[in-house]
Amino acid sequence: MSAPSPLVSGVLLGAASAFAALAVVVLYRVLRGPTMQDRVIAVNVIGSNTVVILALVAAALGEPMYLDVALVYALLNFLMSIAISKFTVERGGVI
Amino acid sequence: MTPAEIAVVLLVAAGTFFAVVAAVGVIRLPDLYTRTHAASKSDTLGAVLTLGAVAITFGGEITAVKTVFLLLFMFVTNPTAAHAIARAAYDQGIEPWTADDSGGEPE
Amino acid sequence: MAAEDHTRILVPVGESTTLRNTVAYAVRVAQDDATERGVSATVHFVYPAVWRSVEPTRAEKFERAGDLLERVEVWAREDVEPDEADVAVETAIVGAEEYLFSPSDFARVLFDYAREHGLDRVVVDPEYQPGGNAPMLRPLEFELSQTGLDVEEAPVERPARRAALVGRESLSQYLVVFGASYLFYLVLGGFSVDAFELFTGAVSAGIVTVVLAKISLKGPPDLGRLPGQAARMALYVPYLLWEIAKANVAIAYVVLHPRLPIDPSLERFEAAVWGDMPATTLANSITLTPGTLTVDVSEREFYIHALTRSSREDLFDGALERAVRFVFYGRRAARIPSPEERLASRERGEQ
Repeated sequence: MSAPSPLVSGVLLGAASAFAALAVVVLYRVLRGPTMQDRVIAVNVIGSNTVVILALVAAALGEPMYLDVALVYALLNFLMSIAISKFTVERGGVI
Repeated sequence: MTPAEIAVVLLVAAGTFFAVVAAVGVIRLPDLYTRTHAASKSDTLGAVLTLGAVAITFGGEITAVKTVFLLLFMFVTNPTAAHAIARAAYDQGIEPWTADDSGGEPE
Repeated sequence: MAAEDHTRILVPVGESTTLRNTVAYAVRVAQDDATERGVSATVHFVYPAVWRSVEPTRAEKFERAGDLLERVEVWAREDVEPDEADVAVETAIVGAEEYLFSPSDFARVLFDYAREHGLDRVVVDPEYQPGGNAPMLRPLEFELSQTGLDVEEAPVERPARRAALVGRESLSQYLVVFGASYLFYLVLGGFSVDAFELFTGAVSAGIVTVVLAKISLKGPPDLGRLPGQAARMALYVPYLLWEIAKANVAIAYVVLHPRLPIDPSLERFEAAVWGDMPATTLANSITLTPGTLTVDVSEREFYIHALTRSSREDLFDGALERAVRFVFYGRRAARIPSPEERLASRERGEQ
């Protein structure tokens, strides 16, 4: 596929940078905590934002390949949250 | 501007708005559980709306189907992850903040 | 009658690959013990109900439980050696009036049955795991031994992991998982039909099926009910989307409001949904909709964190819960009273 019109790709890239800025803002919660779960939630939000950024860039540049990266990233992001939660609940016994 | 382009711009704007709400919520709300609300609902909707815009940009191609898959995946996994984290916190005995403790440590 | 002059054994039974061997073992143990002491023996085979009294498919499941018990009884009579001590066989279904969820629930009704009939020995089937083998819950055997009964695991061979691959009733389970993962692979590959894609897709789907089929689906899928559920699910999705939109506007208002007008609380509520899929759907729907977040689903109770007062009231109205029941069980099941009404009627009943 080819890249969309300059206007649309501009909007998409603008949104991508907004999402990136939000991810940086949410980093505050990762650093601040106070509990471990707060950090996990924040990292999860940053991960979702990253997935959206990847998808936006894919659409703006007309590069469907990036979508595969986004898909895998979404998967890893989900597994991260689940694994950490399971790890804390079972005190180390993840599998 | 074609109707599709208008839809894309509107969806992206709405998605970004809800992502802002999610970020503000995660920073501002007083405790883990309330932050999870922001992270699970607003962030999911923000992501889903924006991904909808991406799917429209890709048009009728198979890539759009892939984007819809990604969208559905986020839709299912985000609340599940939020639930898992909240449950882990509850299991560890982290007490929810209530309006009565407002003098306490809303941080 | 005291246990000394009669051998009594309790055997919890359910669908399991090692049921036949467990029955044989229990009968032999009973007969050996009775012969040694010169008394007679009774073996009670008890089927703990895995349905709920309001569930629409319960008649069917009840029948299936009856069939299983009949089969067990026939097996047990076959196993009794004619020239040794007399062994009587009794069968029963317990817990049909309540909803057994976790292994501890199962252990409780089995213990009640044991006390009622003066049983003190239990033989459990190692492959029989009612209430699921969720890693967070302790297995039935442990829960039973906590009640003070003498619990013993039948030392049967456990060929399940290998034998399950060729089991006929699990075939459809494998086919469904294989088909779904193959389709997913092809969609991701853009439906290209070249041989390489088709081959790698088949290999990947095959690996996924072998490793995960038993985890992805608990039992063979009920294909007859699937189309109806899918159709009702299609009705449910727009409703859910509307609720989600409302939820997010509400959250946005609360979060962006300068004074942060929240009144969070943790609520407990007993949901009238049963089974993994409906419970998951309800839990995720609750998380996505107005100011409520599922914190924990333990036993049949949902622990819900509600952000504002109005979200709490919406939850106890039970609209979502009714919608989920509608999706999975049809219109009839939607008419169960709301959580609020259930709570009220229970309080009236207790007074």
